Amino acid sequence: MAMPYSFKSALQSLCREKWINILSIFTVASSLLIVTLTVFFLYNVELVTSHLPERFSMMIYLKDNLPREDTQNVINMLQKRADVSKVRYISKSDALKELKQTLKDTNYILEGLDDNPLASSIELRLKKDFVTGATAARIAEEVKKIPGIDSVFYGEKIAEAIHLLKRSVENISLIIFLTISLGVIFVTYSTVKILFYRKNEEIEILKLLGATGSFIRMPFLIEGGIIGLMGGALGIVGAFIFYIAVTYRLSMVIPVLKTLVFPLEILIALPVIGIILGIIGSAIAIGRLRL
Amino acid sequence: MIAFQNVSKYYDLHTVLRNINITIQKGEMAFLTGPSGAGKSTLLRLMYMAELADEGNIIIEDLDLASLKMSRIPFLRRSIGVVFQDFKLIKNLNVFNNVALALRIRGVVEREARNLTSEALKKVNLRHLADSYPQSLSGGEQQRVAIARAIVADPLVILADEPTGNLDPGTALDIIKLFRDLNLQGTTVLIATHNRELFRGTGKRVFKLDGGTLSGEEVG
Repeated sequence: MAMPYSFKSALQSLCREKWINILSIFTVASSLLIVTLTVFFLYNVELVTSHLPERFSMMIYLKDNLPREDTQNVINMLQKRADVSKVRYISKSDALKELKQTLKDTNYILEGLDDNPLASSIELRLKKDFVTGATAARIAEEVKKIPGIDSVFYGEKIAEAIHLLKRSVENISLIIFLTISLGVIFVTYSTVKILFYRKNEEIEILKLLGATGSFIRMPFLIEGGIIGLMGGALGIVGAFIFYIAVTYRLSMVIPVLKTLVFPLEILIALPVIGIILGIIGSAIAIGRLRL
Repeated sequence: MIAFQNVSKYYDLHTVLRNINITIQKGEMAFLTGPSGAGKSTLLRLMYMAELADEGNIIIEDLDLASLKMSRIPFLRRSIGVVFQDFKLIKNLNVFNNVALALRIRGVVEREARNLTSEALKKVNLRHLADSYPQSLSGGEQQRVAIARAIVADPLVILADEPTGNLDPGTALDIIKLFRDLNLQGTTVLIATHNRELFRGTGKRVFKLDGGTLSGEEVG
């Protein structure tokens, strides 16, 4: 069987050309360490920003003295919308109570009022995906047209900022991941290319003995995969040391760092990414074999 | 069967082989002789497609090499056992693994590969050197490793390019006897040599090459 021979051949080559391979493993490890730290940072940013849309709300003020039945109609219409996650009715008296609580010690300024000047309102929470400046504006426009609604207020800049922050986090992570991936592919490409040239004579002999392209390629692909795997494993060790240093040591100075979370998925993802990128680099290095 | 039909080969403006017509029957043993530079090695190289003929057809065991797909070349080479003039042994593999490589390439299971390799090394009297590496062997020993590798997979055709060039006369005759034994079992054998002693008295056909052309045929 070709597989065990290929593995043996790849392992022998790794040992025989140990310095170039060790160098490659460390280079891949440093690259993947950067990926891990980026993921680590972005994961925590995502963790924080993912809750922001839940806190975004739209305030809908109802017309004065709107009959109870009409108020219920407005609530029903809002609840039916696919972009709404929560509808909370705040009556005039509830609004005043909330205002008094907000003002606390300075609520004496309300003492001179005969009537409750506040309007009944509805607090509308949108579903996560609809918290963008444009969508919130569209929803506000649509809601305004519902009979019985006087005005709609929402933090359009906040909605846009939340959306922008999330998009930026996603884009930055994608750019860093792609850049580093290309780097890792290039490292394994260079290593395997050098090994391939060094083994040129051996490859020619294999061809003359009747070896197929896959038989010749397999040890190089395995070697590239192993370089990626070991680079990935070493990258995890580096990242874990960094995490411990940050959460245990630096958190004494900056307590908020204690809340950082290490994404455990990366323990599996990083070696797998390493293997895949290593194999891709090797495959490109070998290219098409002329038999 | 091996058949050359009007085969020519050129290197730029230089003609290496001109209008070669040879037919060697299945199970036949034949020799190819001529001085250095006569085109013997090139003729053999055309047969395992290390080079391609510029004109004419070559047929090896029902395969027309002119129409053979590139992807089928490895399978053609597996049906031929070649003893290369420069041995072509892999430096990083010991004698045993160099020979076994021919079987591993063919996908033979490991246990069987080990048995067949031991047998082949026994045939060329090299079992005691199984763990040695090529660079520690003499020219004659390396040549015998190359022969063991060529015969280990029991190919349909054996091509040998000066297979006894580095051997003493006694060992050379033993090797020729080995090829004759393989031939008796039905393997087609073609040996390129400039040593007339090897085919004298064998009763086998000898093709004479000179300056790239077939200058004659005799019985050894």
